[in-house]
Amino acid sequence: MIVMVELKSRKIFASGVWKENPVFRQILGICSALAVTNLLINTLIMGLSLIFVVTMSNVTVSILRSITPTRIRMMVQTLIIASYVIIVDVFLKAYLPDISEALGPYVGLIITNCIIMGRCEAFARNNTVWPSFVDGVASGCGYAFVLLTIAFFRELMGFGTLFGMDVMPGGWTNWIIMVMPPGAFFMLGAFIWIVRSLGPRGEEEELKK
Amino acid sequence: MIRKRIFSVVYMFLLTFFFTGIVSGIYEINRERIAINEEIKLQKIILKVLGVQVPPGTLDARVRQIFGDRVKRETGQGRTIYRGFAEDGKALIGYVLPLFGPGFWGPIYGMMAIDPQLERVIGIAFYRHNETPGLGGRITEAWFEKQFKGKTLLPPEQEGRYFSFRPPGTAKAQNEVDAITGATGTSKAVERLIDRSLKDYLPWIAEQQAAGRV
Repeated sequence: MIVMVELKSRKIFASGVWKENPVFRQILGICSALAVTNLLINTLIMGLSLIFVVTMSNVTVSILRSITPTRIRMMVQTLIIASYVIIVDVFLKAYLPDISEALGPYVGLIITNCIIMGRCEAFARNNTVWPSFVDGVASGCGYAFVLLTIAFFRELMGFGTLFGMDVMPGGWTNWIIMVMPPGAFFMLGAFIWIVRSLGPRGEEEELKK
Repeated sequence: MIRKRIFSVVYMFLLTFFFTGIVSGIYEINRERIAINEEIKLQKIILKVLGVQVPPGTLDARVRQIFGDRVKRETGQGRTIYRGFAEDGKALIGYVLPLFGPGFWGPIYGMMAIDPQLERVIGIAFYRHNETPGLGGRITEAWFEKQFKGKTLLPPEQEGRYFSFRPPGTAKAQNEVDAITGATGTSKAVERLIDRSLKDYLPWIAEQQAAGRV
């Protein structure tokens, strides 16, 4: 029994981080993926915030799944998600004011991040608490992993630093475009392209056969 | 059927009550900390518009100390200004007055520093607003704030404004600055609120000066 649960958890985790990765498979959460990826430290905080919100929302939705009337479930989910986002926002304002400032409205906008409601609707609503927890952590990690990868290259090429530390050799010229929004588009596009050509054939091709 | 509906209403009500309670509680616990952070932020903004260098990463205690040495707060008749002093703590380098007014989406808060003769702008900064990121939100960017630096404060003509916002790239005169592309609403609102704040505060500061209070 325990082995089975563990196997299932692993499967859920793998699918959230890679096979059904919210960013490069489902193309969700793109707005913030473009907006907060020019400095690793901001991206890391954003990723952790999202992992927290999606996991806690999933768990809460799962706990309430049998008593929540179906007709009002969206309202309930929005309420739950918004509460956790405000908690994160208050916490950042109190303990990490500079990062809260830098992330600006994007923390509040986690409420509208499709990944979270997507997971609540598609998974937590029909599953027990533990799998929902794993699914939340997995989807959050999948999101954070993509954002951190993009931020790694953007900060490295745009500022010549990693987490604020100089790492590039002396003669390095910063690519200003990497810091600006177009840099995010190029990086995200390149990332999705590389990952998709590495991975197994997508659904579209299978359907064509 | 009707029982189901009543249940939905009661359920939603209780759930909202529960979550609002938790969120309010967490906010209440952290309120003092947030207030302190806000205060430090305001002090940094005031030092910034006065042109006092505070390197990023300076400890909060140090910011507070610099602020205490170089800035004095003056209030009266519902108005608040800050006097900035040179490094010796004696010579007056300028006055800082608050900028406040409705923006396009919500209130905008800022600070403007002017020289002791009330003739020139030393610096300007906005620190709280709800404008669209990347459009109206660009009022906090360096290029926008820099435009005001060193501008002469010309008393506006009849019904005119202290500063008029011109289409980007066409500002030439001392009282003209570039507006923000794609953010006409915010530009107009900022033009109005700067003018209103200056018209409110300049005569008052002059009055206080004449009375020897500041």
